[in-house]
Amino acid sequence: MVNFFRTSKIPLRLERLRGLSLFVKLTPAELQIVDGLLHERDYLKDEVIFDEGEEGQAIYIIASGEVLISRQGAGRTAQAVPDEARLPRRRQGDFGRVAQLGPGTFFGELALLDDSPRSAQARAANACHLIVFFRDDFVGLLDTHARIASKISRQLACHLGTRMRNMALSVGAYHHLL
Amino acid sequence: MSATIKSSELPRRGNHGSGPIVWAVIIATTCLLLLAFQKLLWLVVPFLLALILYYFLYPPVRVLIYRGMSRDAAASLVTLGFLALLFVVGVAVTPWVTGQLANWQDTVSRYAQGGLQLLDNSLRNIEAHWPTLARAHLADTLAARMVQGADSISDHLEPVAIGIMTWAPSLMLAPFLAFFFLRDGRRFKRFLSAAVPNAFFERTLYLLHEIDRTSRAYFQGLINLTLLDTVTLAAGLWLLGIPGPLALGLICAVLAWVPYVGSVLGGLLVVLVAATDFPDAPGTAYWAIALFGLVRLLDDFVYMPLTIGKSLELHPLVTVLMIFVGGAVAGVAGLMLVLPVLGVVMVIGETVGLIVTDPRLMARHRHARALLREYASKDL
Repeated sequence: MVNFFRTSKIPLRLERLRGLSLFVKLTPAELQIVDGLLHERDYLKDEVIFDEGEEGQAIYIIASGEVLISRQGAGRTAQAVPDEARLPRRRQGDFGRVAQLGPGTFFGELALLDDSPRSAQARAANACHLIVFFRDDFVGLLDTHARIASKISRQLACHLGTRMRNMALSVGAYHHLL
Repeated sequence: MSATIKSSELPRRGNHGSGPIVWAVIIATTCLLLLAFQKLLWLVVPFLLALILYYFLYPPVRVLIYRGMSRDAAASLVTLGFLALLFVVGVAVTPWVTGQLANWQDTVSRYAQGGLQLLDNSLRNIEAHWPTLARAHLADTLAARMVQGADSISDHLEPVAIGIMTWAPSLMLAPFLAFFFLRDGRRFKRFLSAAVPNAFFERTLYLLHEIDRTSRAYFQGLINLTLLDTVTLAAGLWLLGIPGPLALGLICAVLAWVPYVGSVLGGLLVVLVAATDFPDAPGTAYWAIALFGLVRLLDDFVYMPLTIGKSLELHPLVTVLMIFVGGAVAGVAGLMLVLPVLGVVMVIGETVGLIVTDPRLMARHRHARALLREYASKDL
């Protein structure tokens, strides 16, 4: 309750925000505006952040810790399933692992673009601190501060482009690289 | 066995609207809140006015933010501008109001007498055309009752006026509260969402946004409706030649915020003015009644769908029943507050209902609590 009425400014916090890839191009004044829109959450190791198939509402940026992204059925082989059954239930998701992300990276970014279901589950690989950017706040930012929103959008587009290029290379769909 | 469970694969009990238990809780909570609010009118009324003021001042604040001003500066500038406007209007109307207040008891009695005279004349006219009614001596009986009632009007007025005067200063809280809503609204939203467990966080955030969007649509619609009603009534009253058409139109439009009862009171006010200021032309009062009927129809079929629309998405039967319940539980205050309170309780109730009936979210919450317990007692 006391924190709500406290009005102190924390430049260190803005500095930390600027270290995140999504906000790297923002000026201190712009960071201050974005900071007013962000939420912070702490997750314990193995805690589910969101589920596959859930409607996405926000993008998550990892401030500290690591997050495991896994998909139902991804990376499974006939040998893997019996091996997985021997593990504690909460570790069984590792077999559908898609990626493990570290500090400064972000996930769930498609939720900023549309309200399609999450394509994978996100789970804290260890205790982590996440920064959450809600889609409707981003849409509001597009209206009120188009310059800031365009900088964030550009970073997001770069990230999606890199991911698409990697995917195209891995499946040999070279026409996507043109 | 699948390692991750798809949220969409689980059965959902709460996705098809709220059930009867949730609705019973919503209605019971609304009634309890109305009972509590009745004792806190001095705070609830300024709070509601502040909310209306917030949505009234939000568009200019947004325009200033569009132009690059910070939220704090925009909120301060717009609130100061509004207070300056209020001050100018206050200075302009104070001499007139002071003049009226000096003999307000006489004025009220005069208008009440004018209304009674109109009623008496109308009944006698009807009796002249319908001998059956004349034999029932309806006009004489009503006249005798009304004279008794009119004598005691001034006795009733004084306590009401004193009651209003005691909590009227708290209305000055409204602009102060509105300023903080404008400046710190986002911080408050963050403060609220910080208290929500991780499992429910995303959905709660979305629903908080929906509450904000719905209430903004409702209050901005209400403001637009008030403007449209004021203009229509003022034009009609001006055509009828009734004095002070704009002020009367505005008063009636604001009274219409209280559902049903407010419209009747507004209509009664204008009829009293017409009957008193034009004692020899009862036709003016009848035209005023017709004007109110027309504005009511315009409200229901044109203005409301254009402005408020279905922002609360309440069934008409529930709306009417809750207005009666509000009146029975908390009197006039209940009539005025029941719909906004029901709207907020409904959204919160449905949100909680949706969350607690989602088995996956509840399972995730239980899992998070188990992890927290395990973590907290790790070295014990």
